[in-house]
Amino acid sequence: MTEMVTSLLRRAYSSFASHIFDVPARLLAFLLFLLFLVMPLTNPGYFIYTGEGYYILGILVVANIYAIYAASWDILAGRTGQLSLGHALFYGIGAYTVAILYKFYALPLWVTIPIGILVSVSVALLVGFPCLRVKGPYLSLVTLAFPLILTGIFFMFKDVTGGELGISSLPAIIPVPPYTINQQRLAAFYFSSLLLAVSSVILYKIANSKIGIIFVSMLDDEVASKASGINTTKYKLLAFAISALFASLAGAFAASYESSVGISMLALTMSFYPVIMTILGGIGTIYGPIIGAFILTILDRYVLKVVVSDALAHTHIIERAEDLAPWHMIIYTSVVIIFVLAWPRGVTRFVVDKLEDLEEARELEEIKKKKK
Amino acid sequence: MIEDLLIYGAISGAVYALLALGFTLVYGVAEILNMAHGALYMLGVYAFVILFSFFHLDLLSSIILATIFVGFVGIAVYGLIRSVVDEVLPVLVVTLGATLVIQQLSIIQFGARDIRVPPMISGIVTLLGVKILQDRLLALALSLCLIFVLWIFISRSKIGLAMRAVAQDREVAMLMGINTERVYMLTILISGSLAAVAGMLITRPVVNPNIWQTPLYMSFAIVVLGGLGSIKGSLVGAFIIGYAENAVLYLVPEGQYLKGAVALAVMVIVLVLRPAGIFGKRMEIER
Repeated sequence: MTEMVTSLLRRAYSSFASHIFDVPARLLAFLLFLLFLVMPLTNPGYFIYTGEGYYILGILVVANIYAIYAASWDILAGRTGQLSLGHALFYGIGAYTVAILYKFYALPLWVTIPIGILVSVSVALLVGFPCLRVKGPYLSLVTLAFPLILTGIFFMFKDVTGGELGISSLPAIIPVPPYTINQQRLAAFYFSSLLLAVSSVILYKIANSKIGIIFVSMLDDEVASKASGINTTKYKLLAFAISALFASLAGAFAASYESSVGISMLALTMSFYPVIMTILGGIGTIYGPIIGAFILTILDRYVLKVVVSDALAHTHIIERAEDLAPWHMIIYTSVVIIFVLAWPRGVTRFVVDKLEDLEEARELEEIKKKKK
Repeated sequence: MIEDLLIYGAISGAVYALLALGFTLVYGVAEILNMAHGALYMLGVYAFVILFSFFHLDLLSSIILATIFVGFVGIAVYGLIRSVVDEVLPVLVVTLGATLVIQQLSIIQFGARDIRVPPMISGIVTLLGVKILQDRLLALALSLCLIFVLWIFISRSKIGLAMRAVAQDREVAMLMGINTERVYMLTILISGSLAAVAGMLITRPVVNPNIWQTPLYMSFAIVVLGGLGSIKGSLVGAFIIGYAENAVLYLVPEGQYLKGAVALAVMVIVLVLRPAGIFGKRMEIER
């Protein structure tokens, strides 16, 4: 028995070593992730307790949620080329299923989140079906319609969905009484980081597996991949289902983290967030959208709402907080526009290309030296 | 009842056609999915309200000035995307960003509150036993006029010919000595102006900085329904959506919430039956 366990552990370790330690870039990412996890413990006063309506861990939790959401869009759009502009449909369904099931049946989260994912995946298969017939911009515009149609339906059944107000006071991820608020914050952070790690690894694996290659073949040339005997219908629906799975996971987690859902979860802006994050980070890479989500969330919630607000509060240029909000949005959007115009293929692509250039230059130098 | 539907459907259809024509024109000629179309629409309404009810200019000159202003804002948006104009997603994100900037600037300038849009003319007429505001009738007449003028412009004038040539094949048009850059700019100018006029005609009774969303997805629905880049298709699509919307308002008690949803549902159904819209060309394998 013990032998079996040790051999299993050894096998796991060796595969882990060969996959992570031997690739410098992955090792770097792994160490960064570890640093990310340890960080809050080094200075809890700074990360957890800061009052005044925000705390830094909370911002990172939101970034984690958006990262999962954006990465799920990337596997659909960046890999198969189906540029969906209605991803909020899956996010919203995940969130609303959790909320409605709690409101009417008081089911716990570990039941409602899987149900939310299930509902979302089945909706994805349903929605994916008409989407199979349309291509390119038509597909983008059709998918854009679905969350808006659902919004209309939600408004019709106000007593179930709460209409404009949504549903609030959902249970937290960690049951309240025995734990302090700070412990809950830490728990939410670690739980969301775990979710991000697991889902990004799964998405990355899928993107680089045989299925991922088939996805890319459909992006490159659908007719040719059909001619090679690939059942494109099946794989397109599969892409929709995978994407919906992770988007609804993000939505369901967001619902329980913010302990409320609202109609804004289905709004146009919510559909555009993953698009903006992915384009900024680098489409088709899976790690790009994650980086993009972190850049934009930290820019939005920390740099603009905390640092800039504090600086302006001292100068008394703008007196009231609500006068500041539009300026935040303008700076945020301008940063996005500048990033996208400067690096249309994404920030991570740009960095990776630069690193590869350096590597190549170094190798050339070495060859020259050898010749001498 | 049926007369109500007939007349109000026609009015909605005509103004929606005006809205969607600008969008489809830009896509047809320059292959730009202009997400800032809704923002230009909104800007048109604001400019009109300022000129008409705050500066007390007369109706015609405030419409014309507001239209020209929005047209130039459209050119400014094009200036932003000029360097990435061939790539679909960066264009999408940047025009969307421009929309948000315009929205936030209007919040700073006018506040997030509702501002009343005055009717262009007051009074009521009775037509086929239906009472209609003269304002709405003017909207119908004005949009039909503009659509007709645009149609003539595109099919008869030299610039219209250049636009059609660029839409058909950009490289060959360039070889024939057409300055595509200038044609793009002109197209955006026309498109922005049309959006502005549509805004002035549709938006009643109030305007606020969030009204850009509905016209944006409405023009999507119409344009996709008719076939992207097809002017004839947009006209037909606009009337289909206009009538469908009004039919829902009359038939379903909760109709006001479903108005937008029904328009979009119609679009989805049509697309499932005809994947490239009613008048759209089938997507070719190789361009």
